[in-house]
Amino acid sequence: MQKSYVNSLYKLLKSDKNVISCLSDSGTDYDEMIAREFPDQVINFGISENNKIGAAAGLASCGKTPFVYTTSAFLAYRSYEFIRNDVCLQNQNVKLVGMGCGLSWSTLGSTHHTTEDIAALKAIPNLTILSPCSPKELECCVNAAYQIKGPVYIRMGMSNEIEIYDGEASFELGKNNIIKTGNRAAVFVTGSIISEVLEAIHKLKEEGIEIEVVNVSTIKPFDQQSVIAECKKNHVIFSVEEHNKIGGVGSSIADIIAENNLSTKLIKIGLEDCFATGYGTHKQLLEMNGLDAKHIYEIIKNKLVN
Amino acid sequence: MEQELRKLRKQIFLTGYSVNIAHIASAFSIVEILYSLYVHQNLNYDSRKPNLENRDRLILSKGHGSLALYTMLYYVGYFDLNFLNSFCKPGSVLGGEPCIPNIPGIEATTGSLGHGLSLGVGMALAKKIDQKKEKIYVLLGDGECEEGTIWEAVMFAAHQHLNNLIAIVDCNKIQKMGSIENVMGIHSWKERFEAFGWVVEEVDGHDVDALDQVFLKGNETDRPLVILANTIKGKGVSIIENDPRWHWRLPNKRELKTFMAELGISEEEITACRKVM
Repeated sequence: MQKSYVNSLYKLLKSDKNVISCLSDSGTDYDEMIAREFPDQVINFGISENNKIGAAAGLASCGKTPFVYTTSAFLAYRSYEFIRNDVCLQNQNVKLVGMGCGLSWSTLGSTHHTTEDIAALKAIPNLTILSPCSPKELECCVNAAYQIKGPVYIRMGMSNEIEIYDGEASFELGKNNIIKTGNRAAVFVTGSIISEVLEAIHKLKEEGIEIEVVNVSTIKPFDQQSVIAECKKNHVIFSVEEHNKIGGVGSSIADIIAENNLSTKLIKIGLEDCFATGYGTHKQLLEMNGLDAKHIYEIIKNKLVN
Repeated sequence: MEQELRKLRKQIFLTGYSVNIAHIASAFSIVEILYSLYVHQNLNYDSRKPNLENRDRLILSKGHGSLALYTMLYYVGYFDLNFLNSFCKPGSVLGGEPCIPNIPGIEATTGSLGHGLSLGVGMALAKKIDQKKEKIYVLLGDGECEEGTIWEAVMFAAHQHLNNLIAIVDCNKIQKMGSIENVMGIHSWKERFEAFGWVVEEVDGHDVDALDQVFLKGNETDRPLVILANTIKGKGVSIIENDPRWHWRLPNKRELKTFMAELGISEEEITACRKVM
Protein backbone atom coordinates (compact mmCIF):
# COMPACT_ATOMS: atom_id res chain seq x y z
CA MET A 1 0.00 0.00 0.00
CA GLN A 2 2.92 2.37 0.67
CA LYS A 3 3.88 2.26 -3.00
CA SER A 4 0.30 2.92 -4.02
CA TYR A 5 0.15 5.89 -1.65
CA VAL A 6 3.35 7.43 -2.93
CA ASN A 7 2.27 6.94 -6.56
CA SER A 8 -1.11 8.55 -5.86
CA LEU A 9 0.44 11.42 -3.98
CA TYR A 10 3.01 11.96 -6.71
CA LYS A 11 0.22 12.64 -9.20
CA LEU A 12 -1.42 15.13 -6.85
CA LEU A 13 1.88 16.90 -6.12
CA LYS A 14 2.47 17.22 -9.82
CA SER A 15 -1.00 18.54 -10.65
CA ASP A 16 -1.46 20.89 -7.66
CA LYS A 17 1.41 22.92 -6.23
CA ASN A 18 -0.61 23.52 -3.06
CA VAL A 19 -0.48 19.84 -2.12
CA ILE A 20 2.20 19.38 0.52
CA SER A 21 3.58 16.03 1.69
CA CYS A 22 4.35 16.30 5.41
CA LEU A 23 6.60 13.57 6.78
CA SER A 24 7.87 12.78 10.27
CA ASP A 25 11.07 11.10 9.22
CA SER A 26 8.54 8.62 7.94
CA GLY A 27 9.25 8.57 4.23
CA THR A 28 10.74 5.93 1.98
CA ASP A 29 13.21 6.03 -0.90
CA TYR A 30 10.27 7.00 -3.09
CA ASP A 31 9.63 10.06 -0.93
CA GLU A 32 13.25 11.11 -1.27
CA MET A 33 12.99 10.86 -5.03
CA ILE A 34 9.80 12.92 -5.01
CA ALA A 35 11.36 15.48 -2.70
CA ARG A 36 14.08 16.09 -5.26
CA GLU A 37 11.43 16.83 -7.88
CA PHE A 38 9.18 18.92 -5.62
CA PRO A 39 11.48 20.40 -2.97
CA ASP A 40 8.89 22.96 -1.79
CA GLN A 41 6.15 20.36 -1.52
CA VAL A 42 7.79 17.62 0.52
CA ILE A 43 8.68 18.59 4.07
CA ASN A 44 10.23 16.40 6.72
CA PHE A 45 9.16 17.70 10.13
CA GLY A 46 11.51 15.34 11.91
CA ILE A 47 10.42 13.14 14.77
CA SER A 48 7.83 15.53 16.14
CA GLU A 49 4.34 14.47 15.17
CA ASN A 50 2.45 17.00 17.25
CA ASN A 51 4.21 19.99 15.75
CA LYS A 52 3.62 18.49 12.33
CA ILE A 53 -0.14 18.22 12.87
CA GLY A 54 -0.39 21.78 14.21
CA ALA A 55 1.74 23.08 11.37
CA ALA A 56 -0.35 21.17 8.84
CA ALA A 57 -3.42 22.99 10.18
CA GLY A 58 -1.52 26.26 9.79
CA LEU A 59 -0.53 25.35 6.24
CA ALA A 60 -4.15 24.51 5.42
CA SER A 61 -5.36 27.82 6.85
CA CYS A 62 -3.16 29.51 4.23
CA GLY A 63 -4.55 27.53 1.30
CA LYS A 64 -2.33 24.46 1.27
CA THR A 65 -3.56 20.85 1.20
CA PRO A 66 -1.20 18.93 3.48
CA PHE A 67 -1.03 15.14 3.36
CA VAL A 68 0.40 14.16 6.73
CA TYR A 69 1.95 10.74 6.60
CA THR A 70 3.38 8.67 9.41
CA THR A 71 2.93 5.46 11.36
CA SER A 72 -0.71 5.47 12.32
CA ALA A 73 -0.08 4.66 15.98
CA PHE A 74 1.98 7.82 16.39
CA LEU A 75 -0.56 9.82 14.45
CA ALA A 76 -3.73 8.63 16.11
CA TYR A 77 -2.51 8.31 19.68
CA ARG A 78 0.33 10.74 20.26
CA SER A 79 -1.23 13.53 18.24
CA TYR A 80 -4.85 13.02 19.22
CA GLU A 81 -5.41 16.43 20.78
CA PHE A 82 -3.69 18.17 17.87
CA ILE A 83 -5.92 16.30 15.43
CA ARG A 84 -8.94 17.27 17.50
CA ASN A 85 -8.19 20.93 18.20
CA ASP A 86 -6.05 22.08 15.30
CA VAL A 87 -7.41 20.02 12.43
CA CYS A 88 -10.98 18.96 13.19
CA LEU A 89 -12.23 21.70 15.51
CA GLN A 90 -10.91 24.30 13.07
CA ASN A 91 -12.15 22.18 10.15
CA GLN A 92 -8.88 22.52 8.30
CA ASN A 93 -8.22 20.84 4.98
CA VAL A 94 -5.66 18.37 6.33
CA LYS A 95 -5.33 14.76 5.17
CA LEU A 96 -4.01 12.42 7.85
CA VAL A 97 -2.55 9.26 6.41
CA GLY A 98 -1.80 6.56 8.95
CA MET A 99 0.51 3.86 7.67
CA GLY A 100 0.93 0.44 9.29
CA CYS A 101 -2.58 0.07 10.66
CA GLY A 102 -3.79 -2.99 12.47
CA LEU A 103 -0.96 -5.45 13.10
CA SER A 104 1.01 -4.72 9.97
CA TRP A 105 4.05 -3.56 11.95
CA SER A 106 4.18 -7.21 12.91
CA THR A 107 7.70 -7.45 14.31
CA LEU A 108 7.76 -4.34 16.48
CA GLY A 109 5.12 -5.10 19.06
CA SER A 110 2.15 -3.26 20.47
CA THR A 111 3.70 0.21 20.53
CA HIS A 112 3.52 0.08 16.74
CA HIS A 113 0.15 -1.68 16.38
CA THR A 114 -2.84 0.50 15.56
CA THR A 115 -5.80 -1.33 16.96
CA GLU A 116 -7.74 1.42 18.71
CA ASP A 117 -7.53 4.25 16.16
CA ILE A 118 -11.04 3.87 14.77
CA ALA A 119 -12.51 4.05 18.28
CA ALA A 120 -10.45 7.09 19.12
CA LEU A 121 -10.85 9.06 15.92
CA LYS A 122 -14.41 8.33 14.87
CA ALA A 123 -15.67 10.29 17.87
CA ILE A 124 -14.12 13.50 16.55
CA PRO A 125 -16.56 15.68 14.59
CA ASN A 126 -15.74 16.87 11.04
CA LEU A 127 -13.38 13.94 10.36
CA THR A 128 -13.98 11.62 7.42
CA ILE A 129 -12.37 8.19 7.93
CA LEU A 130 -11.38 6.02 4.98
CA SER A 131 -10.09 2.47 5.23
CA PRO A 132 -8.93 1.00 1.93
CA CYS A 133 -8.74 -2.76 1.62
CA SER A 134 -6.18 -2.94 -1.19
CA PRO A 135 -3.59 -0.86 -3.06
CA LYS A 136 -6.03 0.04 -5.83
CA GLU A 137 -8.65 1.13 -3.33
CA LEU A 138 -6.06 3.23 -1.51
CA GLU A 139 -5.48 5.23 -4.67
CA CYS A 140 -9.23 5.90 -4.83
CA CYS A 141 -9.17 6.97 -1.18
CA VAL A 142 -6.28 9.38 -1.69
CA ASN A 143 -8.09 10.99 -4.62
CA ALA A 144 -11.36 11.14 -2.68
CA ALA A 145 -9.56 12.70 0.30
CA TYR A 146 -8.10 15.35 -2.01
CA GLN A 147 -11.58 16.20 -3.31
CA ILE A 148 -13.03 16.60 0.20
CA LYS A 149 -12.54 20.12 1.59
CA GLY A 150 -11.97 19.18 5.19
CA PRO A 151 -10.18 16.76 7.51
CA VAL A 152 -9.74 13.15 6.38
CA TYR A 153 -8.00 10.21 8.02
CA ILE A 154 -6.88 7.37 5.77
CA ARG A 155 -6.16 4.15 7.60
CA MET A 156 -3.79 2.12 5.48
CA GLY A 157 -1.54 -0.91 5.77
CA MET A 158 2.11 -1.15 4.79
CA SER A 159 3.28 -3.44 2.04
CA ASN A 160 2.45 -6.77 0.44
CA GLU A 161 -1.28 -6.33 0.89
CA ILE A 162 -3.17 -8.52 -1.58
CA GLU A 163 -4.93 -6.75 -4.43
CA ILE A 164 -8.50 -8.00 -4.41
CA TYR A 165 -9.74 -6.16 -7.50
CA ASP A 166 -9.10 -7.69 -10.93
CA GLY A 167 -10.01 -4.47 -12.69
CA GLU A 168 -10.58 -1.03 -11.22
CA ALA A 169 -11.55 -0.74 -7.56
CA SER A 170 -15.28 -0.22 -7.13
CA PHE A 171 -14.84 2.52 -4.54
CA GLU A 172 -17.54 5.07 -3.86
CA LEU A 173 -17.07 7.56 -1.04
CA GLY A 174 -19.52 6.92 1.79
CA LYS A 175 -20.73 3.61 0.34
CA ASN A 176 -19.91 0.06 1.29
CA ASN A 177 -19.46 -2.29 -1.63
CA ILE A 178 -20.35 -5.95 -1.93
CA ILE A 179 -17.27 -7.93 -2.92
CA LYS A 180 -18.93 -11.38 -2.87
CA THR A 181 -22.60 -12.20 -2.85
CA GLY A 182 -24.08 -14.85 -0.57
CA ASN A 183 -27.35 -15.86 1.03
CA ARG A 184 -26.54 -17.36 4.45
CA ALA A 185 -25.05 -14.34 6.19
CA ALA A 186 -23.06 -11.18 5.56
CA VAL A 187 -19.59 -10.20 6.74
CA PHE A 188 -18.71 -6.53 7.03
CA VAL A 189 -14.96 -6.10 6.85
CA THR A 190 -12.61 -3.14 6.75
CA GLY A 191 -9.01 -2.90 5.59
CA SER A 192 -6.60 -5.43 4.18
CA ILE A 193 -7.84 -8.20 6.49
CA ILE A 194 -10.42 -8.63 3.74
CA SER A 195 -8.02 -11.12 2.11
CA GLU A 196 -8.32 -13.35 5.21
CA VAL A 197 -12.09 -13.01 5.08
CA LEU A 198 -12.17 -13.92 1.40
CA GLU A 199 -10.10 -17.02 2.11
CA ALA A 200 -12.46 -18.04 4.90
CA ILE A 201 -15.50 -17.38 2.73
CA HIS A 202 -14.01 -19.46 -0.09
CA LYS A 203 -13.65 -22.43 2.25
CA LEU A 204 -17.22 -22.00 3.49
CA LYS A 205 -18.45 -21.84 -0.08
CA GLU A 206 -16.79 -25.17 -0.78
CA GLU A 207 -18.96 -26.53 2.03
CA GLY A 208 -22.06 -25.00 0.49
CA ILE A 209 -22.27 -21.99 2.78
CA GLU A 210 -22.43 -18.79 0.77
CA ILE A 211 -21.59 -15.61 2.63
CA GLU A 212 -21.91 -12.04 1.41
CA VAL A 213 -18.77 -9.91 1.89
CA VAL A 214 -19.34 -6.20 2.41
CA ASN A 215 -16.26 -4.01 2.20
CA VAL A 216 -16.34 -0.97 4.49
CA SER A 217 -14.04 1.53 2.84
CA THR A 218 -15.65 4.60 4.43
CA ILE A 219 -15.80 4.18 8.20
CA LYS A 220 -17.14 7.66 8.79
CA PRO A 221 -19.69 8.65 7.73
CA PHE A 222 -20.86 5.04 7.94
CA ASP A 223 -23.08 3.65 5.17
CA GLN A 224 -26.18 2.98 7.26
CA GLN A 225 -28.29 1.78 4.36
CA SER A 226 -25.90 -1.03 3.63
CA VAL A 227 -26.27 -2.33 7.20
CA ILE A 228 -30.03 -1.99 7.10
CA ALA A 229 -30.17 -3.83 3.77
CA GLU A 230 -28.03 -6.73 5.04
CA CYS A 231 -30.02 -6.95 8.26
CA LYS A 232 -33.23 -7.27 6.28
CA LYS A 233 -31.74 -10.17 4.31
CA ASN A 234 -29.95 -12.02 7.13
CA HIS A 235 -30.59 -13.36 10.64
CA VAL A 236 -26.94 -12.94 11.50
CA ILE A 237 -24.20 -10.64 10.29
CA PHE A 238 -20.50 -10.52 11.18
CA SER A 239 -17.93 -7.78 11.41
CA VAL A 240 -14.20 -8.38 10.98
CA GLU A 241 -11.51 -5.85 11.69
CA GLU A 242 -7.89 -5.60 12.81
CA HIS A 243 -8.99 -3.50 15.73
CA ASN A 244 -10.30 -3.80 19.24
CA LYS A 245 -13.88 -5.07 19.20
CA ILE A 246 -14.69 -2.05 21.33
CA GLY A 247 -15.31 1.05 19.30
CA GLY A 248 -14.50 -0.25 15.84
CA VAL A 249 -16.55 -0.92 12.74
CA GLY A 250 -18.49 -3.62 14.60
CA SER A 251 -19.54 -1.04 17.14
CA SER A 252 -20.69 1.31 14.39
CA ILE A 253 -22.81 -1.51 12.98
CA ALA A 254 -24.21 -2.27 16.43
CA ASP A 255 -25.23 1.37 16.77
CA ILE A 256 -27.08 1.23 13.47
CA ILE A 257 -28.85 -2.02 14.41
CA ALA A 258 -29.94 -0.56 17.75
CA GLU A 259 -30.99 2.81 16.38
CA ASN A 260 -33.09 1.22 13.63
CA ASN A 261 -34.81 -1.40 15.81
CA LEU A 262 -33.34 -4.24 13.79
CA SER A 263 -33.33 -7.75 15.22
CA THR A 264 -30.39 -9.21 13.33
CA LYS A 265 -27.72 -10.82 15.47
CA LEU A 266 -24.25 -9.28 15.18
CA ILE A 267 -21.06 -11.24 15.81
CA LYS A 268 -18.01 -8.99 16.12
CA ILE A 269 -14.62 -10.45 15.22
CA GLY A 270 -11.65 -8.42 16.36
CA LEU A 271 -9.26 -8.14 19.28
CA GLU A 272 -10.97 -9.09 22.54
CA ASP A 273 -10.23 -5.80 24.32
CA CYS A 274 -6.55 -6.69 24.50
CA PHE A 275 -3.27 -5.59 23.00
CA ALA A 276 -2.16 -7.93 20.25
CA THR A 277 0.79 -10.12 21.14
CA GLY A 278 3.60 -11.89 19.34
CA TYR A 279 6.13 -11.24 16.62
CA GLY A 280 6.41 -12.58 13.11
CA THR A 281 5.01 -11.87 9.69
CA HIS A 282 1.75 -9.96 9.45
CA LYS A 283 -0.05 -13.19 8.59
CA GLN A 284 1.54 -15.00 11.53
CA LEU A 285 0.44 -12.24 13.86
CA LEU A 286 -3.10 -12.47 12.59
CA GLU A 287 -2.97 -16.22 13.32
CA MET A 288 -1.56 -15.69 16.83
CA ASN A 289 -4.33 -13.23 17.63
CA GLY A 290 -7.23 -15.15 16.17
CA LEU A 291 -7.75 -12.93 13.17
CA ASP A 292 -6.60 -15.15 10.30
CA ALA A 293 -8.74 -16.95 7.71
CA LYS A 294 -8.89 -20.17 9.72
CA HIS A 295 -10.21 -18.48 12.87
CA ILE A 296 -12.66 -16.37 10.91
CA TYR A 297 -13.88 -19.49 9.11
CA GLU A 298 -14.37 -21.34 12.40
CA ILE A 299 -16.24 -18.53 14.10
CA ILE A 300 -18.60 -18.02 11.17
CA LYS A 301 -19.20 -21.75 10.70
CA ASN A 302 -19.84 -22.35 14.40
CA LYS A 303 -22.36 -19.55 14.58
CA LEU A 304 -24.20 -20.64 11.46
CA VAL A 305 -24.21 -24.36 12.16
CA ASN A 306 -25.03 -24.24 15.89
CA MET B 1 -1.40 56.86 25.89
CA GLU B 2 -1.38 55.99 29.59
CA GLN B 3 -5.05 56.95 29.76
CA GLU B 4 -5.83 54.78 26.73
CA LEU B 5 -4.07 51.80 28.27
CA ARG B 6 -5.95 52.33 31.52
CA LYS B 7 -9.22 52.49 29.62
CA LEU B 8 -8.43 49.27 27.82
CA ARG B 9 -7.77 47.53 31.14
CA LYS B 10 -10.98 49.00 32.51
CA GLN B 11 -12.90 47.61 29.54
CA ILE B 12 -11.24 44.20 29.92
CA PHE B 13 -12.19 44.10 33.58
CA LEU B 14 -15.78 45.27 33.09
CA THR B 15 -16.36 42.75 30.31
CA GLY B 16 -15.07 39.90 32.44
CA TYR B 17 -16.77 41.14 35.59
CA SER B 18 -20.12 41.34 33.79
CA VAL B 19 -20.20 37.54 33.54
CA ASN B 20 -18.07 36.68 36.55
CA ILE B 21 -15.52 35.03 34.30
CA ALA B 22 -12.05 36.06 33.28
CA HIS B 23 -8.37 35.47 33.29
CA ILE B 24 -8.01 39.16 34.15
CA ALA B 25 -4.37 39.06 35.25
CA SER B 26 -3.28 37.15 32.14
CA ALA B 27 -5.07 39.67 29.96
CA PHE B 28 -3.58 42.67 31.76
CA SER B 29 -0.02 41.57 31.12
CA ILE B 30 -0.34 41.71 27.32
CA VAL B 31 -2.18 45.03 26.88
CA GLU B 32 0.89 47.04 25.81
CA ILE B 33 2.07 44.29 23.46
CA LEU B 34 -1.29 44.33 21.69
CA TYR B 35 -1.39 48.13 21.79
CA SER B 36 1.93 48.32 19.97
CA LEU B 37 0.83 45.77 17.39
CA TYR B 38 -2.67 47.10 16.72
CA VAL B 39 -2.85 50.76 17.71
CA HIS B 40 0.65 51.59 16.53
CA GLN B 41 0.05 49.26 13.60
CA ASN B 42 3.19 47.22 13.82
CA LEU B 43 0.84 44.52 12.60
CA ASN B 44 -0.37 44.95 9.02
CA TYR B 45 -4.16 44.60 9.16
CA ASP B 46 -7.40 46.20 8.05
CA SER B 47 -10.15 45.85 10.63
CA ARG B 48 -12.77 46.42 7.92
CA LYS B 49 -11.33 43.54 5.89
CA PRO B 50 -10.41 40.84 8.43
CA ASN B 51 -9.66 38.29 5.70
CA LEU B 52 -7.44 40.57 3.65
CA GLU B 53 -5.12 38.28 1.71
CA ASN B 54 -1.87 40.06 2.51
CA ARG B 55 -2.52 40.72 6.19
CA ASP B 56 -0.11 39.78 8.91
CA ARG B 57 -1.58 37.24 11.30
CA LEU B 58 -1.50 37.12 15.08
CA ILE B 59 -2.21 33.90 16.95
CA LEU B 60 -2.97 34.25 20.64
CA SER B 61 -1.48 30.96 21.74
CA LYS B 62 -2.12 31.82 25.40
CA GLY B 63 -5.80 31.79 24.57
CA HIS B 64 -6.84 32.57 28.14
CA GLY B 65 -5.68 36.14 27.54
CA SER B 66 -8.59 36.43 25.09
CA LEU B 67 -10.27 39.38 26.77
CA ALA B 68 -7.26 41.58 26.04
CA LEU B 69 -7.33 40.61 22.38
CA TYR B 70 -11.12 40.92 22.05
CA THR B 71 -10.97 44.33 23.67
CA MET B 72 -8.20 45.41 21.31
CA LEU B 73 -10.08 44.09 18.27
CA TYR B 74 -13.10 46.11 19.41
CA TYR B 75 -10.92 49.15 20.03
CA VAL B 76 -9.47 49.15 16.50
CA GLY B 77 -12.81 48.51 14.82
CA TYR B 78 -13.15 44.80 14.07
CA PHE B 79 -16.49 44.80 15.88
CA ASP B 80 -18.68 47.00 18.07
CA LEU B 81 -19.19 47.23 21.82
CA ASN B 82 -22.36 45.13 21.75
CA PHE B 83 -20.40 42.31 20.18
CA LEU B 84 -17.72 42.62 22.87
CA ASN B 85 -20.35 42.78 25.61
CA SER B 86 -21.74 39.45 24.48
CA PHE B 87 -18.62 37.81 25.96
CA CYS B 88 -19.43 34.38 27.41
CA LYS B 89 -23.17 34.94 27.22
CA PRO B 90 -25.62 32.55 25.58
CA GLY B 91 -25.66 33.05 21.81
CA SER B 92 -22.28 34.73 21.73
CA VAL B 93 -19.30 33.56 19.69
CA LEU B 94 -16.90 35.25 22.10
CA GLY B 95 -15.83 32.61 24.57
CA GLY B 96 -13.17 32.47 27.21
CA GLU B 97 -10.75 31.11 24.61
CA PRO B 98 -10.63 32.39 21.01
CA CYS B 99 -12.32 30.29 18.36
CA ILE B 100 -12.53 30.54 14.57
CA PRO B 101 -14.33 31.18 12.25
CA ASN B 102 -16.89 33.63 13.60
CA ILE B 103 -14.83 36.26 15.41
CA PRO B 104 -13.44 38.93 13.07
CA GLY B 105 -9.70 39.22 13.57
CA ILE B 106 -9.18 35.85 15.25
CA GLU B 107 -6.87 33.68 13.17
CA ALA B 108 -6.85 30.38 15.08
CA THR B 109 -8.69 28.45 17.74
CA THR B 110 -6.55 28.26 20.85
CA GLY B 111 -7.04 27.44 24.50
CA SER B 112 -5.15 24.25 25.01
CA LEU B 113 -1.61 25.48 25.54
CA GLY B 114 1.24 24.52 23.26
CA HIS B 115 -0.63 24.65 19.95
CA GLY B 116 -0.25 28.21 18.67
CA LEU B 117 3.40 28.14 17.71
CA SER B 118 2.95 25.05 15.54
CA LEU B 119 -0.05 26.65 13.86
CA GLY B 120 2.09 29.73 13.28
CA VAL B 121 4.93 27.61 11.92
CA GLY B 122 2.56 26.15 9.33
CA MET B 123 1.29 29.59 8.34
CA ALA B 124 4.83 31.00 8.11
CA LEU B 125 5.90 27.99 6.05
CA ALA B 126 2.99 28.47 3.64
CA LYS B 127 3.93 32.14 3.19
CA LYS B 128 7.55 31.17 2.57
CA ILE B 129 6.59 28.59 -0.02
CA ASP B 130 4.41 31.17 -1.77
CA GLN B 131 7.16 33.82 -1.45
CA LYS B 132 4.81 36.19 0.36
CA LYS B 133 6.00 38.95 2.63
CA GLU B 134 3.38 38.68 5.37
CA LYS B 135 4.53 38.03 8.90
CA ILE B 136 3.10 35.59 11.41
CA TYR B 137 3.06 36.64 15.06
CA VAL B 138 2.44 34.16 17.88
CA LEU B 139 1.86 35.44 21.40
CA LEU B 140 2.87 32.80 23.94
CA GLY B 141 2.74 32.63 27.69
CA ASP B 142 5.96 31.88 29.53
CA GLY B 143 4.29 29.10 31.51
CA GLU B 144 3.06 27.76 28.18
CA CYS B 145 6.69 27.31 27.13
CA GLU B 146 6.78 24.32 29.48
CA GLU B 147 4.82 22.42 26.81
CA GLY B 148 7.03 20.11 24.75
CA THR B 149 5.39 20.98 21.44
CA ILE B 150 6.66 24.53 21.74
CA TRP B 151 10.19 23.19 21.44
CA GLU B 152 9.34 20.92 18.53
CA ALA B 153 8.08 24.03 16.76
CA VAL B 154 11.08 26.09 17.87
CA MET B 155 13.51 23.51 16.44
CA PHE B 156 11.64 23.20 13.19
CA ALA B 157 11.20 26.96 12.65
CA ALA B 158 14.92 27.56 13.05
CA HIS B 159 15.82 24.72 10.72
CA GLN B 160 13.40 26.02 8.08
CA HIS B 161 14.72 29.60 8.42
CA LEU B 162 11.25 30.96 9.13
CA ASN B 163 12.33 34.57 9.54
CA ASN B 164 8.75 35.63 8.84
CA LEU B 165 7.74 34.10 12.17
CA ILE B 166 7.83 36.25 15.30
CA ALA B 167 7.10 34.71 18.66
CA ILE B 168 6.38 37.05 21.54
CA VAL B 169 6.63 35.49 24.98
CA ASP B 170 4.62 37.22 27.67
CA CYS B 171 7.21 36.74 30.40
CA ASN B 172 5.13 37.52 33.45
CA LYS B 173 7.01 34.78 35.28
CA ILE B 174 3.92 33.39 36.95
CA GLN B 175 1.74 30.40 36.21
CA LYS B 176 -1.38 29.21 37.97
CA MET B 177 0.24 27.58 40.98
CA GLY B 178 3.29 29.74 41.47
CA SER B 179 6.31 31.25 39.82
CA ILE B 180 7.79 29.63 36.73
CA GLU B 181 11.04 29.36 38.63
CA ASN B 182 9.46 27.47 41.50
CA VAL B 183 7.37 25.21 39.30
CA MET B 184 9.90 24.42 36.57
CA GLY B 185 13.19 25.92 37.73
CA ILE B 186 13.40 28.34 34.82
CA HIS B 187 14.41 31.94 35.35
CA SER B 188 15.39 32.84 31.80
CA TRP B 189 14.25 31.75 28.36
CA LYS B 190 16.96 33.66 26.48
CA GLU B 191 19.63 30.99 26.46
CA ARG B 192 17.11 28.32 25.57
CA PHE B 193 15.82 30.09 22.47
CA GLU B 194 19.35 31.08 21.44
CA ALA B 195 20.52 27.50 21.81
CA PHE B 196 17.75 26.47 19.42
CA GLY B 197 18.92 28.98 16.81
CA TRP B 198 16.49 31.86 17.26
CA VAL B 199 17.23 35.57 17.33
CA VAL B 200 16.28 36.82 20.78
CA GLU B 201 15.23 40.34 21.75
CA GLU B 202 14.39 41.27 25.31
CA VAL B 203 12.13 44.19 26.05
CA ASP B 204 10.04 45.76 28.78
CA GLY B 205 6.64 44.40 27.79
CA HIS B 206 4.86 47.41 29.28
CA ASP B 207 6.95 50.01 27.46
CA VAL B 208 5.10 50.66 24.23
CA ASP B 209 7.93 52.75 22.75
CA ALA B 210 10.42 49.98 23.43
CA LEU B 211 8.05 47.40 21.93
CA ASP B 212 7.58 49.63 18.87
CA GLN B 213 11.34 49.79 18.40
CA VAL B 214 11.71 46.01 18.57
CA PHE B 215 8.89 45.46 16.10
CA LEU B 216 10.18 48.18 13.76
CA LYS B 217 13.70 46.86 13.91
CA GLY B 218 12.32 43.53 12.76
CA ASN B 219 14.61 40.75 11.80
CA GLU B 220 17.21 40.98 9.07
CA THR B 221 18.53 37.48 9.67
CA ASP B 222 17.37 34.21 8.15
CA ARG B 223 16.30 32.97 11.56
CA PRO B 224 13.02 33.27 13.45
CA LEU B 225 12.71 36.01 16.04
CA VAL B 226 11.48 35.70 19.60
CA ILE B 227 10.69 38.77 21.65
CA LEU B 228 10.89 38.09 25.35
CA ALA B 229 8.55 40.72 26.76
CA ASN B 230 9.11 41.15 30.47
CA THR B 231 5.73 41.85 31.96
CA ILE B 232 3.84 41.94 35.23
CA LYS B 233 0.97 39.55 35.60
CA GLY B 234 -2.04 41.63 36.58
CA LYS B 235 -0.35 44.90 35.53
CA GLY B 236 -2.55 47.90 36.30
CA VAL B 237 -4.21 46.88 39.56
CA SER B 238 -1.81 46.85 42.48
CA ILE B 239 -3.44 44.13 44.55
CA ILE B 240 -3.32 41.53 41.80
CA GLU B 241 0.12 42.25 40.36
CA ASN B 242 2.57 39.35 40.58
CA ASP B 243 0.19 37.26 42.65
CA PRO B 244 -0.56 33.75 41.28
CA ARG B 245 -3.82 33.61 43.24
CA TRP B 246 -5.30 36.05 40.72
CA HIS B 247 -4.79 33.75 37.74
CA TRP B 248 -8.48 32.86 37.75
CA ARG B 249 -10.54 34.96 40.07
CA LEU B 250 -12.46 38.18 40.31
CA PRO B 251 -12.54 40.64 43.20
CA ASN B 252 -14.81 40.48 46.21
CA LYS B 253 -16.59 43.63 47.34
CA ARG B 254 -13.64 44.98 49.28
CA GLU B 255 -11.12 44.24 46.54
CA LEU B 256 -13.47 45.75 43.98
CA LYS B 257 -12.91 49.17 45.52
CA THR B 258 -9.23 48.96 44.56
CA PHE B 259 -10.07 47.90 41.01
CA MET B 260 -12.52 50.80 40.71
CA ALA B 261 -10.08 53.33 42.11
CA GLU B 262 -7.10 52.22 40.06
CA LEU B 263 -8.95 51.66 36.78
CA GLY B 264 -11.25 54.69 37.14
CA ILE B 265 -14.52 52.78 37.32
CA SER B 266 -17.65 54.43 38.75
CA GLU B 267 -20.39 52.74 40.78
CA GLU B 268 -22.73 53.35 37.87
CA GLU B 269 -20.41 51.54 35.49
CA ILE B 270 -20.21 48.54 37.81
CA THR B 271 -23.98 48.41 38.13
CA ALA B 272 -24.44 48.86 34.39
CA CYS B 273 -21.97 46.13 33.46
CA ARG B 274 -23.78 43.61 35.62
CA LYS B 275 -27.04 44.61 33.92
CA VAL B 276 -25.63 43.86 30.47
CA MET B 277 -25.96 40.18 31.35
